[in-house]
Amino acid sequence: MAAPALPSDPSSDNQHSVLIVEDEHALRRVLEYRLGGKYEVHTAAHGQEALEVISEHPPDLIVSDIMMPHMDGFALQEALQDDKNTRAIPFIFLTAKSDDDSRLEGLRQGVDDYITKPFDTDQLLGRIDRLVERAETFRSHLDAELGQDFSERLMPRSLPEPPGWRTFFVSRPHDQGGGDLFAWEEPEPGVFFLTVGDVMGKGLQAKFYAYTFLSYIRGTIHTMLAETSSPAALMERVNEMLLSDQVVEDTFASLLMARWDATEGTVTYANAGHSRPLLLSEKEESRIVKESDLVLGLKEGAAFHNYTFSMNGEDALVLYTDGLTEQRLESGRMIGEQGVLQIAAEARTAREPLANILRAIEPSTQHGDFDDDILMFWLQRAEE
Amino acid sequence: MSFDVTSRADQVVTINIGEALDFRNASEFKTLCEEEVQEGGRHFVLDFSGTGILDSTGLGAIFSLYRKVSPEDGEVVFAAVSKPVKVVVQLTRTYKVFQQFDDEAEARAALVEEGGATSSPSPERA
Repeated sequence: MAAPALPSDPSSDNQHSVLIVEDEHALRRVLEYRLGGKYEVHTAAHGQEALEVISEHPPDLIVSDIMMPHMDGFALQEALQDDKNTRAIPFIFLTAKSDDDSRLEGLRQGVDDYITKPFDTDQLLGRIDRLVERAETFRSHLDAELGQDFSERLMPRSLPEPPGWRTFFVSRPHDQGGGDLFAWEEPEPGVFFLTVGDVMGKGLQAKFYAYTFLSYIRGTIHTMLAETSSPAALMERVNEMLLSDQVVEDTFASLLMARWDATEGTVTYANAGHSRPLLLSEKEESRIVKESDLVLGLKEGAAFHNYTFSMNGEDALVLYTDGLTEQRLESGRMIGEQGVLQIAAEARTAREPLANILRAIEPSTQHGDFDDDILMFWLQRAEE
Repeated sequence: MSFDVTSRADQVVTINIGEALDFRNASEFKTLCEEEVQEGGRHFVLDFSGTGILDSTGLGAIFSLYRKVSPEDGEVVFAAVSKPVKVVVQLTRTYKVFQQFDDEAEARAALVEEGGATSSPSPERA
């Protein structure tokens, strides 16, 4: 399934719509009837009326007669060419033998097909199908490319690598995935600010919002780190932004911000409803880092808290997004937090722990493929 | 997949979520909620009995509903929360916002008692 186009809704697999512009009542009815089985059909009796219909219901394709009262097919086609919102709508002319061929030649640009009257309805239907399909293929290609581009921009280009630690990162964006994001910066030597999040929603729309959102978070962190080192304070600011900003209004996100002091071996974090990190311990039992607060964008004045833990020995911390825990196994059940915790704990001593986790999960997925974006960040103390 | 409004009695709108609320039908749910809010609905009971799937897009649609009714002292409460729904609610800590009841009747009774459409206290204060 292709990713949806902006700004249409991610869940819509609506019928395509066709506009018929024809002054002859009987022919209009016949076409409406024949196309109605497959397409959502709108009609107009002349160009002027067509423009009104188009502004209300932009069609996926237009079939238009040429000779019509008020505004003829040529004038309609020209008007559509002048507007960037309508220029790309596939256009088929119904031409009568008497129409001036030279005039048609001159207007070839912007017209996708001609059918000469009297015409065979099946032939017209076939051409409509082909044109709609071609436009659809083009659009989904473009969507896939855009999605890939956004996915790449939502991920880091490099990783923090302080001495005495090892870090790993994996991101497997999925077509139908959402807005996973990861970012980090080093406000002072040896201190890292990590952000991992998931903007709710699926497909290109979610990725787009995640991109807007991440730009904002990056800016906020950068500015605020001069005054505060508190993840909770930053979280409160981001929450207020989501609730007040027009562009990202109605956007909800889970987010985890962590201040990792690589010299002290401590992590202070605030968690806004995000997947809970795993603390894999060398000496104690591995556990889920449970403390967290409300998801972002929901409630004004929501309180966020800082929690701190230290990492000893060869302890490892795993940050991730819910694509991992919500991955369905062959049994139909989701792996869940406990499942991931167990797999991750076994990978703690591996050379490439994240690769081990993926290898452990992959064979038990339904189609040997992941259902959603997979994102993991692993940091671990290393004995020197 | 579609959603049923099972009751509008006492100005409390009860919606049966059915088997799934996810990226496939979240926009349909959103449209339904918008219509109900437009018609004056402020208090919503979402019935999750038999709901096997609630993903983040679905949850987002519920959040949108909450954002619409909360400034007008409206409430959204959950009834008969199934295991998969519980996991998502737990993870996002949204039980702080959406009160949960054993069944739809209990949820409606609580909303009516709290003042139904006239006034209602904040559902929070966990």
